[in-house]
Amino acid sequence: MTSSSADFVEIRQLRKSFGGADVLKGVDLVFRLGEIHAFIGANGAGKSTLLGCLSGAVEPSSGTIAIDGEVFDTLSPRLALEKGIGIIYQHFQVVEGLTVADNIFLGSELRRMGIVDTRQQNERAAALLARLGAVLAPDMPLERLSVGERQIVEIARALRIGPKVLILDEPTAALSDREMSALHDVVRTLAHAENIAIVYVTHLIDEIKAIADCVTVLRDGAVVWTRPAARIDSRQIAEAIAPNSKGLGQATALRSDARSLLQLHNYASPYTGPIDLDIRAGEIVGVYGLMGSGRTDLLESLVGARPRRSGEMLLEGRLLSISDPGAAMRAGIAFVASDRNEQSLFGSLPAIENLLMPHLGGFARKRAVHAALFERAAHDLSLHPANPALEARRFSGGNAQKLVMGRWLLPGLKVRLLVLDEPTQGVDIGARAEIYKLLHDFAQAGGAVVIASSDPTEIRALANRILVLGQGRPVELIEREISEDELVHLAHNSFAAKRGTSHGKPFGELSTESSHAAHVD
Amino acid sequence: MASPLANSLPNPPMQHTSTEAESRSARGDADANRTPVAGGAGTKRLIDHLSAGALPIGTLLIAAFFAIKTPVFLTLDNWISISVQVASLMTISIPFAVLLMAGKVDLSVGSLLGFSGVVAGLTFPSLGPLGAPALALGVGLLVGMFNGFLVSWLSMSPIIVTLGSLTLLRGMAQWFAPAPLFEFPESFVYMGFGRLLGLPILTWITLGVLILGVLAVRYLPIGRHAIAIGVNERAAYLVGIRVKLTGLILYGAVGLASALAGLMSIARINSAPSGSLGVGVELGVLTAVLLGGIPFTGGKGSLLRVALGVWLLGMLSNGLILMNVPTEAGLMMTGVVLVLAAALNVLRTR
Repeated sequence: MTSSSADFVEIRQLRKSFGGADVLKGVDLVFRLGEIHAFIGANGAGKSTLLGCLSGAVEPSSGTIAIDGEVFDTLSPRLALEKGIGIIYQHFQVVEGLTVADNIFLGSELRRMGIVDTRQQNERAAALLARLGAVLAPDMPLERLSVGERQIVEIARALRIGPKVLILDEPTAALSDREMSALHDVVRTLAHAENIAIVYVTHLIDEIKAIADCVTVLRDGAVVWTRPAARIDSRQIAEAIAPNSKGLGQATALRSDARSLLQLHNYASPYTGPIDLDIRAGEIVGVYGLMGSGRTDLLESLVGARPRRSGEMLLEGRLLSISDPGAAMRAGIAFVASDRNEQSLFGSLPAIENLLMPHLGGFARKRAVHAALFERAAHDLSLHPANPALEARRFSGGNAQKLVMGRWLLPGLKVRLLVLDEPTQGVDIGARAEIYKLLHDFAQAGGAVVIASSDPTEIRALANRILVLGQGRPVELIEREISEDELVHLAHNSFAAKRGTSHGKPFGELSTESSHAAHVD
Repeated sequence: MASPLANSLPNPPMQHTSTEAESRSARGDADANRTPVAGGAGTKRLIDHLSAGALPIGTLLIAAFFAIKTPVFLTLDNWISISVQVASLMTISIPFAVLLMAGKVDLSVGSLLGFSGVVAGLTFPSLGPLGAPALALGVGLLVGMFNGFLVSWLSMSPIIVTLGSLTLLRGMAQWFAPAPLFEFPESFVYMGFGRLLGLPILTWITLGVLILGVLAVRYLPIGRHAIAIGVNERAAYLVGIRVKLTGLILYGAVGLASALAGLMSIARINSAPSGSLGVGVELGVLTAVLLGGIPFTGGKGSLLRVALGVWLLGMLSNGLILMNVPTEAGLMMTGVVLVLAAALNVLRTR
């Protein structure tokens, strides 16, 4: 262990504003070689922007970044790399059609007389992977790798340039438990044995306790504090992240006279089911499960965006056959998909058209009527800014989500069942509370909500009942008080139990096995 | 109730609760950081204004240039003859523009123009001056809808599908009519040279198509829907828009317009040469529509600007002919304008 205390990166008074709003408000930070520096903060705290400044993707408005004593006002991605700053983005940048080694050397291929030197690439890749304790065949096609193994390929690629600083942006977001602990081992080795400064961004307080040497909490574009990880407890971190996050609401008791709205009998979507569920008016049903549990599959099938595999659906006793989301809408079932930017938002269209898109079916161009509708909706949704002409992509995550949800809450559509997939993804805590209130109000008014979420806090705050899914099967329908731990364990145990032997192992084990199986030498 | 984080403290949420959705949240995070502001930087706005003004200003400059070079150019008669020259181009460009707003493209318009012309030419003897054009229009509509079916229902690439149609239809036209067809019924040919209230009938038809298009985009949902599909097809689908049907209708409209343009063309020249009728029209249409400011990826656009783009092309070829510039040079000019139009769009989307 060569824990050097050399300050390698020194950030001073770093500011960044986008169009007048300060996203970073004078950040001072130091990253030391050999130290794992964890970073935590709510959505919109400025983490992405700060990382962007470090990796050269974002130009700071003012302030300096000193790397190994050399002071910069701004970095370019290329300069950042040259100065030894490697970054691993949250979204994998690997290319499926290429081999492990091709991926590692992508963009700076090793060449001999202009021709890619595959043999040398494979040798060097194997050495890099060995440094990470992974036994992966360099010429294995990437599509055969598990998520955890892909993460290792990402890290190997970053190590290729011999970085002094390695930034990992939520590296465990998609990993299983065991893959995560294997990744932690790798990160520890890199920091403590290879003396690299690790900047580790995470959402998970638990992970910080497991891995970090010191912790910085970011809130509203400023550092709340930086402390040694050993001397803080989880409560302090939570307080620092969101001191006023109370009042997210609590699931209300269901009225006893609630009548059935939507019944699912033996219902199965392409990969999920069969499910029996009776959704009652005034109720919020939470669907909770891990990645791959079938949440999205089930929800999209309910609204006709995916086919139904078997079973039947009854709306107020009437047999319902839904061919597409338009048909669902006409039956009073509305859907808000996950991944707002990809699936819900019309980014380049003005706010008013985003909000009124399902209403634009009429013949006349009723400008005044639409303007009035927008104004009222903007007020009800506390939309900020309440500017109908502003392009949707210019709204913050929370306000964009209000636009997307608000579509279905307008009068005239008669939506009775609101189906939401991860509606608060990328939404800050303030807007989150407002969205929760909208949902509670919607249910109170006699509508029903089905909401899928990966956040147990959210599920507990909203749902009257919780359907836990695991591996495409209903695990349990919970109608009682349940703690978050219990919920998490329920989902995860069902997951782990059914995952069998092919997944969820540490990298070394898994890769030897699968490379033998898949690889012909 | 306590804060959600404090609430989870005894045993905080495990890492494995993170999901596909959460791993996608980086973009959302960045969004949250972005501030809602109306305008961009000053330079960006300047570029916006310049590129938005480029088409009208360019049209004016070209008109001024030709007016100085050839006195005939700026006469009413000449402008009327331009309107006849651009009649086919305009007729196809209007529905084509709406199709491109939805992010789809149809390269078979020129061949379909030729094929419909041949269909009408061949069937005049048996179906008469009304039946033959009606059949041609029906064929155009069907071929367009067939393109639309392949693109919308079978999710095939619009470029590949319509390139196939382009070749197939040209081959079929030449198969059915190896020699040029001519001598059409008087009453039909009248459409090509006759006048109504001082303006050529072809000009009236063109104006009708333009007005119909503008009204449809403004007052029917299909205009909004086309743009919505061009911006985000998945979101349009999930919001309940009948994406496939919209595609079918738009391709059908382009097919119908191509057939109409075919009829207008054969009426004007009183002949239907299967080998040359409508050849290259798709490039003219594409140029006009891009000049009109519709990006190749769709998502926005104005039909009046497209009409201006068509007019600019018409003036250009008319002016060059008046100046006795060889047709080869005119052809080269068309290519240059196409690329310029695309460049203009890149500038605007920056």
